[in-house]
Amino acid sequence: MNRNLFSKELKNYRISFILWLAAITLLISGTLSVYRTFFDNQSKVMGMLNLIPKGALQFKGISNISDLLSVLGFYAANNVIYMMVLGSIFSIVLSSNILLKEEYNKTAEYLLTRPLTRSGIFFSKLAVIVVYVFMLNLVTAWVGYFVMELVKNGPVNFNSFLVLSLYTFLLNLLFGALGLFLSTLVKRPKSITTFCIGLVLVFYFIYTFSKITERYSGIGYISPFRFVNLDVISEDYALNPWNLLYFAGLSLVLTGLSYRVYNRKDIYL
Amino acid sequence: MGKPIIDITNLTKFYGKARGIEQINLEVGEGEIFGFIGPNGAGKSTTIRILLNMIFPGGGSARILGMDVIQQTKQIKRLVGYIPSDANTYDTMGVHEFLTYCIRFNGIEGGERKIAELSEWFGLDTNRKISDLSTGNKKKVSIVQSLLHSPKLLIVDEPTTGLDPLMKARFFELLHAENQRGMTVFYSSHILSEVQLLCKRIAIIREGKIITVEDIENLRRKQLKKVNIEFEKTETNRSFPIRGITGDVSRLEDTSAFMFSGNMNELTGLLATRKVINLTIEEPSLEEVFMHYYH
Repeated sequence: MNRNLFSKELKNYRISFILWLAAITLLISGTLSVYRTFFDNQSKVMGMLNLIPKGALQFKGISNISDLLSVLGFYAANNVIYMMVLGSIFSIVLSSNILLKEEYNKTAEYLLTRPLTRSGIFFSKLAVIVVYVFMLNLVTAWVGYFVMELVKNGPVNFNSFLVLSLYTFLLNLLFGALGLFLSTLVKRPKSITTFCIGLVLVFYFIYTFSKITERYSGIGYISPFRFVNLDVISEDYALNPWNLLYFAGLSLVLTGLSYRVYNRKDIYL
Repeated sequence: MGKPIIDITNLTKFYGKARGIEQINLEVGEGEIFGFIGPNGAGKSTTIRILLNMIFPGGGSARILGMDVIQQTKQIKRLVGYIPSDANTYDTMGVHEFLTYCIRFNGIEGGERKIAELSEWFGLDTNRKISDLSTGNKKKVSIVQSLLHSPKLLIVDEPTTGLDPLMKARFFELLHAENQRGMTVFYSSHILSEVQLLCKRIAIIREGKIITVEDIENLRRKQLKKVNIEFEKTETNRSFPIRGITGDVSRLEDTSAFMFSGNMNELTGLLATRKVINLTIEEPSLEEVFMHYYH
């Protein structure tokens, strides 16, 4: 890894990171701030929620409507959209652009003529992705926990919260690895951002579809979202080793493949 | 020629089925200013990009300073500077920020002094943002970054695009000065007047193959002459049944002109049988030599 390149890239994506971070933390804290009102009016709200088909709530990880009365259950239900979908979009957009941008801006002519190896470039940029995805998850989780502490009406299970946060981080990392891999395959980079955002949304759609349609529940396994356990209120809620293996393994395989392809790739300008 | 600083052997690159370069062999000696000329699409940039490990060859090998361009690319790039044809740099950066960023990769002390010296030489304002610069000024940034680490070899690809005549002259002056200090220059261009001015040896590349590698003066003197013949109006036989005429014979009123690389005695013998008013035999310009090779 090259520190000079790493620092420059970190600076390069700083504004984008801050904007994404601000948007997601605002959404999380904004949604959590209505929890107290929700809890105080639970009989009316529960009555309304009972009218919604159970399957439609399941995709938000709610196996039992009463889970929403717990602040952590409420957080998990909203966290799905904000951190899992938006965090994954941030991650895949960042990773799919970080190598390719040098090509379509033609700055690769400067970067590749520095005393660096392709490996050095790859790992410096990979480090930027990991740092920003980690920081996004860390700050949003901290903000989420902080707001939960403010609005809670009972204890928050910190271990369950940590596991949920870890799932989110692993999911975001997986999309980061996917974006990196895709960026090493394309030669015409301009449309990759749109494609990658679409990919996250398609995976999320597949996941929700599989959740609300019992007949097609198997299809959900092609989506990474399916491997995030959102049933945070469950007593035996923990990090499933198989799911951990899925996220870590797939992320490593995609990153390894990206490394291999990038090291042998012709950089067209 | 000094010991080879660039050594290319049977270098080949195809883009799918499309030809990039084919079986290129080339040696550039230490301390040379070597011209690499050819039209667009001839394979100049492909060759340079292989040397700089941006693309990988399909066959053959290339070495710079005795090191393999793929295996030892990092070591090579400590000693090589590069001016790309496009002046695109990191538009979000300031000039000074970009130059500092570049020199940090080499970890050279005195970088600030070098930035100041070179920027002053080109009249470059380092306080401006790159996005605010004109194409010519962006080109200056590109030139400055290539020389910051005092490279042993400078590879340039159409380096003067966007530079005004004064800056071109300053650039050539700097190249000569650096060359005197021992820097080798690999100068890729299709602007022959520049190549003629700077280089002692050139390689001409056409359709991915090296046609000739020559000392530039030899190339101009080598048989090829520019012949102009003015006939008397009454002369009806203006044909040239003789070997050595390359390309078309251009005819304008009573004057015929052509490039000739055959036996001069045969030509003068033939003309002795015709009514000739005037005959001029000139050294062709490099442009004309170049066109001859491309005919």
